[in-house]
Amino acid sequence: MFERFTKEARSAVVDAQRVARAAHSDQIDGRHLLVALAEGAGPARTALSDGGVDVAELVRRARTAVEAGDALDPGALAAVGIDLDEVTRRTEATFGEGALSRAGRVLRGRRKHIPFTPDAKKSLELALREAVRLGAREIHGGHLLLGLTRGESPARRLLSDGGADVERVRHLAEGSSRAA
Amino acid sequence: MSQQALVASAAGDDPAAGLRAVRALRELADRLETLQVERARRLGWSWQEIAEALGVSRQAVHKKHHRRI
Repeated sequence: MFERFTKEARSAVVDAQRVARAAHSDQIDGRHLLVALAEGAGPARTALSDGGVDVAELVRRARTAVEAGDALDPGALAAVGIDLDEVTRRTEATFGEGALSRAGRVLRGRRKHIPFTPDAKKSLELALREAVRLGAREIHGGHLLLGLTRGESPARRLLSDGGADVERVRHLAEGSSRAA
Repeated sequence: MSQQALVASAAGDDPAAGLRAVRALRELADRLETLQVERARRLGWSWQEIAEALGVSRQAVHKKHHRRI
C-alpha cells in the first residue's frame, strides 16, 4: 500500500512516529497522524484551514490530548497515594533536571518502531479506498485526512470537539483529491 | 469528603482507574530502574551486584540494560 503514497503522505506517517515519541505515546493513533498532516504543508492542511479550522490550535489540542495518554499518569498515581511531583523532585535531586522524562525517552527509544493502533491502520486502509473511489492513482495527505475522518475515530472526535465542520473539511479534501 | 479521598475512592471502585494506576506504577518503576542501573554502572557496580539488588538474574538485567548504558 505504501508504494502508492506520495512523498508528502509518507512523511506524514514518519512524522506521526515523531509526534508519538515526543509525547511518550505507546501507540500511534489517528490524532498523531492528524498532527503530522496539520503540521506538514499539503492538501490536508489546506483543507483544514480552508474549512475554517485554526490549525495551530488544533495541533496544540491534539498534542495535549496525546500527552495525557502518557503512561506516567499523575492523576492515576495520585489515586494510589503517589505524588508524582514529589517523586520527580527527589529523582531530579539525584539524577539531574528532567531525569524522569529522559528515562522515559530511553525506554521508548529502545523501540525502533511505535506500533499503530488498529484504528489508525484502518484509517490508512480507508485512505486507500478513498483514493480508489476518487479515481486517484496516488494516495496523498488529502486522502489520509479523508481516511482519518471517515467514521467515528479519535481524529474526527478531536476535530468536532474543537468545533470544526468535519463534513466541510472532508468536502474540501475531496475536492483536492479527485483524479486530475 | 476531601478531594484526595474522592480520588482514592474512585481508584478503589473503578477498574479502569485502578488499571491505569497499575500501568503508571509500572512505567514509573521502569523509569527509576533505568536511572538507578545507569548510575550504579557508572559507580562501578557489576551486573551481578545490580541483579542481586533488583532480585533478578544477572542475565535478565544485562539483557534489559546493557545496550542503553
